[in-house]
Amino acid sequence: MEVFSDYECPVCRTLFELTLRPMIGDYVASGKVYLVHRDFPLPMHKYGYEAARWLNASARVGEFQNAEAALYDNQDAWSADGNIGKFVAGAMSAETFKRVEKLMQGCGGQAAEIKPAGLSSAAQANPGCAVDGYIEQDKALGATIPVRATPTYVITYKGQRLPAGSGVVSWPILKQFFDSLLSQ
Amino acid sequence: MNTLGSLLTWLAEHGYEFVLAGLVVTLCVRNPRKRRTVVRILLILGGIVVGAIFLAAAYGKMKPLPGFAWSWASVRTSISFFAIQVESYQVLSPGAANTVAHLLPFLELFLGLWLVSGIGRRFSSLLASLAICGFMIAITSAYFRGLKIDCGCGIGPPEEVGPAALLRDGFRFLLPALLVTIGAFLIHRKPRGTTAASRDSLSPAN
Repeated sequence: MEVFSDYECPVCRTLFELTLRPMIGDYVASGKVYLVHRDFPLPMHKYGYEAARWLNASARVGEFQNAEAALYDNQDAWSADGNIGKFVAGAMSAETFKRVEKLMQGCGGQAAEIKPAGLSSAAQANPGCAVDGYIEQDKALGATIPVRATPTYVITYKGQRLPAGSGVVSWPILKQFFDSLLSQ
Repeated sequence: MNTLGSLLTWLAEHGYEFVLAGLVVTLCVRNPRKRRTVVRILLILGGIVVGAIFLAAAYGKMKPLPGFAWSWASVRTSISFFAIQVESYQVLSPGAANTVAHLLPFLELFLGLWLVSGIGRRFSSLLASLAICGFMIAITSAYFRGLKIDCGCGIGPPEEVGPAALLRDGFRFLLPALLVTIGAFLIHRKPRGTTAASRDSLSPAN
C-alpha cells in the first residue's frame, strides 16, 4: 500500500492516527501489508515540504517511523511556527538527530526562511539538499497516478495496481478489504 | 460475463440518447391512440435503459478487481473495496458504510431486473428516480465539503465528485429515469373523456 501524504494536511493526520498507526502495529508488523510512504507536499501548506525533508532525512538514519508519529502528533504546533526540528529531535537520540541535521544542512535551514507562503511546490526543491531528490521522485510518481488530493492511497496486490482511493478510510474497513484480499 | 458487463455499461452510458429520441418521436405523433401505443413501446425500451443503468452499477461494484477471476470470493473482495468508497463520503459510520456497501449492489441488481421486467413500472421507475436523486445529493454534499473522492458509481471510468459527475448523472441517469416515471404514470391514467359508461360499451361483453 502506497500512501501519498502531505505531513501538514489535517486529513493525512486523521488517516495516520485512525488507520495507518493501527495498521503499522498489526498488519505491517506481521508482514501482511507492505506500507510505502510517498511524499506529496501541497503548495498550499507552508511547511509541508520542509516536514517531508525532515522525515526523509530521518528515514536515511532509520528513524522514519518515530519521526513521522511525532510530526503527526504535533502537527498543530509545528504548522503554526515551522519549528519542525524540535519534534524530530524529540523522536530520537541526540546523536541520531545530529546525523539528521547534517543531512538537512544543504536544505537551507529553517522552513520559514526558505519557504515563503505561496511559493509553488516545484520551486521548493533545492539542488543542494540531499533529500529533495526523493521528494521530487515521489511527486513525479504521484503525478502519474494521478494524485489530486492528499491522502491518496494505492494498493498493489500480486503485481496488479488497484484503483487509487483518497480521503480517510477507517482501519476496520481497510482491514476487512485486506483480509478479503489475503484470503484468496 | 465481461461482454455482458460492457454491453450494460454502454447501454447505461448511451441509453439516454434513445430515451430522448423516443421523446421526440412521441411528441411528433398527433393521433392520441397512436401516441399511447408509441409511449407503451417506448416505456418498455426506457425501462430496459434505466434497468441497464442499475444493472451496470451493480456489475461495476461486484466485478472482480484487476487480476481476479469471477468467483464468490472475488465478488466479496470487490464489495469490500466498494465499502472503502462508501466510507470516503464521510457521511456514515464505518459499520453503516459497510452495511450499505454490502446491500447496495444487490439492491441495484434487484431494481435493475425489476425495471427490465416491466412489472409495476410506475413504482420501479419512481424508486429508480429517487435512488439516483439520493446519489446525486451525496455527490453534491461531498463536493461542497471539499472532498476529492471517486464518485464510486461503478459505471464507466472512475470520476471525481463535482459538477462534471453531477452533470453526467443528471443527464445520463436521472433524465431517462424521470421520463420513464412520468410516462409510466401518464399512461396509467384513464384516457381523457373516457367515462365508465363508454368503457363498458366498448367491453367485449356488450
